[in-house]
Amino acid sequence: MSFWEEFIAYLMRGWIMTVELLALSIPLSILLGLALATARVYGNKVVSLIAAGFVALLRGLPLVVTLLIVFFALPRIGLYFDPFWSAVIAFIMCSGAYQSEYVRAAIQSIDVGQSLAAQALGMTKLQEVVHIILPQAFRRALPGISNEIIYLILYSSLAYIIGVQEIFATAKHFNSLQFRPIEIFSTTALIYAFMATVATFFFKKLEERLKIPGLEIV
Amino acid sequence: MEDVESMVEDEIVLKVEDLYKSYNNVIVLKGISFEVRRGETKIICGPSGSGKSTLLRCINLLTKPDKGMIWLEGEELTTRSININKVRQKIGFVFQEFNLFNHLTALRNVSIGLEVVKKMKREEAYKRAMEVLRKVGLEEHAHKYPAELSGGQKQRVAIARALAMNPSIILYDEPTSALDPQLIGEVLEVMKALAREKVTSIVVTHEMGFAQSVGDEMLFMYDGKIIERGPPEEVIHNPKTEIAKKFFERIQELYGREKR
Repeated sequence: MSFWEEFIAYLMRGWIMTVELLALSIPLSILLGLALATARVYGNKVVSLIAAGFVALLRGLPLVVTLLIVFFALPRIGLYFDPFWSAVIAFIMCSGAYQSEYVRAAIQSIDVGQSLAAQALGMTKLQEVVHIILPQAFRRALPGISNEIIYLILYSSLAYIIGVQEIFATAKHFNSLQFRPIEIFSTTALIYAFMATVATFFFKKLEERLKIPGLEIV
Repeated sequence: MEDVESMVEDEIVLKVEDLYKSYNNVIVLKGISFEVRRGETKIICGPSGSGKSTLLRCINLLTKPDKGMIWLEGEELTTRSININKVRQKIGFVFQEFNLFNHLTALRNVSIGLEVVKKMKREEAYKRAMEVLRKVGLEEHAHKYPAELSGGQKQRVAIARALAMNPSIILYDEPTSALDPQLIGEVLEVMKALAREKVTSIVVTHEMGFAQSVGDEMLFMYDGKIIERGPPEEVIHNPKTEIAKKFFERIQELYGREKR
């Protein structure tokens, strides 16, 4: 097998793992972001405080430390996750915490009249949030969320630290066998750039799709 | 005897008794009492800051009154045990600033209450919403978003949204005050048509032509109190108080004598 054949085979294995990590982390982190923001704005004192504390904590930890805590420290209190799931959990918590701030800002930017009109129809707070506030807030938060997702794609490489065989880990391992860093790491870099580009494109399309006619400038 | 009484009671849709409300030590409502009978159009007017909007918001409990009682169709709303959301389904509210849901088409603005609150099936809700939109003359705009509609059209959608819920009473909070003059007419036409169909309503407005053509009774508010009440013609043309007299003169200066 030539260097490139072997390298591509290696890289593909890692890339599939990276895609699996992201396929779980991205949607779930968005959901967590929405949930945290909703809890902070609409939750009672206790719920709001817990959400705020969670966000403050996760934003105050380097992701590497969060990964190590989930993988090495949580087993000490009886919560055991394999490397893959440890990474997914750390990514969801970290990205969700950051995303929640965009969503919270978006929720607070929605005109109070929207809420009054929902109440006047007899909607419960939950119905109002789900059907009226979040659909509008999500649209406004989308540019920020897409920013966080691109970060998430790039820092998913940190999962190598707890032994997840994602694309950066396989590249690094392959380099230690072959020591051809220029080819190996620049190809790896290209793949990350490709994923970030796809994500940018996807979110741009999503923004266009969700655009409210007549309301281009908000 | 009891039967006669309950029949008379039956006619009263809304009863407000000795209502008080204050914000930060400023007393906005100082003992408001009145009744609205089925099919009646009650007009409320008065200078800004007199408590008109606060009164409407107290009625559908968007604001909690401090003291006093409100009954809707014999049910007291001012008790602690009341289910606010159930009550609000029976009270339509039309805002000065329309407050249409920006992310929904005209049709869905009208149907969402039916779907989410009244748990109607989507098709059924759409059918009902379309009927009501036809009634306010906006059938062909059903699939437009609020930002694509004119102010007058927005307010008509808002009226349709309230009407679709089949409320016992509709509260209009200065429904034409945010509109360009040439758009006021179309909204008033819709409101007049509903008044003639005997849709029970309370209308806070400064449109004196409208008040005189469909208003059954006018309440004039000043400084948190109702200081005049009677047939709109009477209150407008023969006010008993100096304050009301000045107010109507001022309105006439601004709008002229033409009737809408």
